[in-house]
Amino acid sequence: MVAIAIARQTVREALRRRVFWIFLIVAVFLIGLGPVLGFLTPKESQTIMRSLGLAVILLAGLFITIVTCIYLIPVEIERRTIYTVLSKPVQRFEFVLGKFLGGFAIVFLSVAAMGAVFLALVYFQTTAVGPNAGVVRWLLSGKVPDDMIKGVILTFFQMMLLAALTIFFSTFATPVLNFFMSFFTFIVGNMSSVTESLTTSRNSITRFIGSVIHYMLPNFGNFNIQNAIIHPTSTISNEGIFIRNNIVYAIIYSAVLLILAVIIFDRREV
Amino acid sequence: MAKLTKKIPADVLKRRMAILPAAVVGLALAGFMQSRIDPDAKQFHVGEGGISSSAQNGLNNEFMLLPLLGFREAAAGLLWVRCDEFFHSGDYDAILPLVRLITWLDPHADNVYVTGAWHLAYNFTDSNERSDRRYIAPSQSLLVEGVENNMNIPDIKFELGWQRYDKIHDFVGAEEAFKLAESTPPDKKSEDYPYGAPLKTLHILAHTYEKQGRIPEALMEWQKAIDRSNEMLKRAPTDYSSKSLNIAEHRNYDENLQRFRNRYTATGHDAVNPSKFPEVLEPPPGSPDQTPRPWDVAFSTEVRVVRPKVFKISGNFNSQDGARIDVRITDWDYKDHAITRTLTDFSVDPSETILQDTASVRKNHFEREMDMSKDPKMYSFSQKFYKVTLSYSARTTAPHLLDRFGWNGEGMTDANKSHVVMDTRPEVAGTTYIEGQGGTPPVWDGVKLPFPYHGQPPRLIRVIYKISLDQVMNRKPITANDIVKVE
Repeated sequence: MVAIAIARQTVREALRRRVFWIFLIVAVFLIGLGPVLGFLTPKESQTIMRSLGLAVILLAGLFITIVTCIYLIPVEIERRTIYTVLSKPVQRFEFVLGKFLGGFAIVFLSVAAMGAVFLALVYFQTTAVGPNAGVVRWLLSGKVPDDMIKGVILTFFQMMLLAALTIFFSTFATPVLNFFMSFFTFIVGNMSSVTESLTTSRNSITRFIGSVIHYMLPNFGNFNIQNAIIHPTSTISNEGIFIRNNIVYAIIYSAVLLILAVIIFDRREV
Repeated sequence: MAKLTKKIPADVLKRRMAILPAAVVGLALAGFMQSRIDPDAKQFHVGEGGISSSAQNGLNNEFMLLPLLGFREAAAGLLWVRCDEFFHSGDYDAILPLVRLITWLDPHADNVYVTGAWHLAYNFTDSNERSDRRYIAPSQSLLVEGVENNMNIPDIKFELGWQRYDKIHDFVGAEEAFKLAESTPPDKKSEDYPYGAPLKTLHILAHTYEKQGRIPEALMEWQKAIDRSNEMLKRAPTDYSSKSLNIAEHRNYDENLQRFRNRYTATGHDAVNPSKFPEVLEPPPGSPDQTPRPWDVAFSTEVRVVRPKVFKISGNFNSQDGARIDVRITDWDYKDHAITRTLTDFSVDPSETILQDTASVRKNHFEREMDMSKDPKMYSFSQKFYKVTLSYSARTTAPHLLDRFGWNGEGMTDANKSHVVMDTRPEVAGTTYIEGQGGTPPVWDGVKLPFPYHGQPPRLIRVIYKISLDQVMNRKPITANDIVKVE
């Protein structure tokens, strides 16, 4: 399909960008520092390492997503390479869809790379025996807690939603403006408990504004569950349903942003 | 911004008309999903306040940039490392604000609640290593907050109970906390699985019942512990520590029963008490009057100020060695602080004065100097009047004295009736073991279990002085006329 070919090309272009690799390498390095920083009891070491790992994946994912996605469409317009694409029998919506899919693939690759390093470190931290017991036995004695995998998966969907938002902004905003808009929306979107409190305010105007922000803006705070998953003694009821709802939310909202991006890009003069 | 075309092509308009409603429906669906997510999302942020909460409800993600980016647990962990350094360098005051901040950053840091509360309750002391009792309320508040934020962790509940048991001697509160710990839901990842709390919880709860004079309940708790350690032995028959625990549990069970028989009945005594009297009513040896009666402790007290703010507490207490007289010196209107759910900080009222200590009885005499002059920050003496309380409770005394005085103090009295106090609060009542000592029926027969009836108010021996600041500063003497009766 055309969109997939565009997506593939988008990913290749992104992987050629140095900024992507710099962020990724620094992130992997910081995740690798995790075991070094926790030097109290094993429990504190585990908590710090997991917290740091998930936080670095989130932070690095945030910058990688915004910095690569703000250029996906504008750079094509600036270089006039978009004419080559649109002069072929490619619909504008296919172009936008291809960029979306490419953006998601970039997010997936970066989160997967960081997630793999993180989960490997968590695995080795949980090994029941040391290397002295035999290398094979040592390698097979670890365990990756489900909670950590859930944390990485939710971070992926959070970044996927951010990528959709950034690409949507890129259909009408310059890269610089887009950077701040995306970052600002991400910050506001993380303030879900604040915006939820506003929906129950006694002031009707505040209530209205709070409701608009809380229910209409993309809500990135839903995906922040680090505290509960880092501490295994926290039990959450309906955890599976909560995660499923968040994933569905991310997919639906991304689809909405895709539709709006198509509508705006249709009108855009290139 | 990109230029917009003035005229929209017809096919574009047509497509837009088709997909715009889809976008609106999608947005509405996203809003609906958000409303489904919100109730469950709260579970992931227990212990964090919202924008409309006061700061006492904790710090939210939104108040800090670092935590917003996901670093809050890492920040909490590193601050705890810093706390540890302060502790080892003896800078205890610096630890307090850090403990508050760490528990706000990470409400699930159970070790911080436990260690921080221990630190507050035990490590702030005067020059004579006496704890600053003003820190007990903040310590308890911190633990209560920790329990509420971590209902699935038995350790914080255990620590809450232990502090009430060991530090405050509030056995009613300790029972509540240990029962809460015992009822913690089991966690498959815990080494106590299929139980929710470690075996030591059952042991200490049994001891708590003993301290409250409720031996039937203590026996039932020991039996629960025996059943559980029997199961552990079935799984690992050669495990030495399980065997030792099992033996100790059996011994405690049998010991309680034997003590009951020795102390409260005329039969079934062991070689320690071969007489036919219940030990708590045994007449003094060699006395011509062999009527069973409680022991007259003949409590007499003297409080002197030898130098300003230096008290000499002395007196007589007719008992074996090992009794300890509780001494409490406080502001006259001092009231124990209410335990609040969360505190913004752990500061104490600098104008409050409270000292709590004990004086040992040796050869029927006790004497102790209590120097409150070296720690003006802890003992500010900023009020006009003070209360000096000297008291003895069987609830906190050694077993060899309990043999005579009984679990509820049934076996002790004082010829000076103004010294004898019955604590009639229903929550502190123990089991009635013997008739005619102020308790109400039913009386336990030493066999029937369960036996949840508590009709025996504990008996205390107590003397209270009301003294003025002038007397504290040694400008006027303290005499027996300063003894007051307080309900």
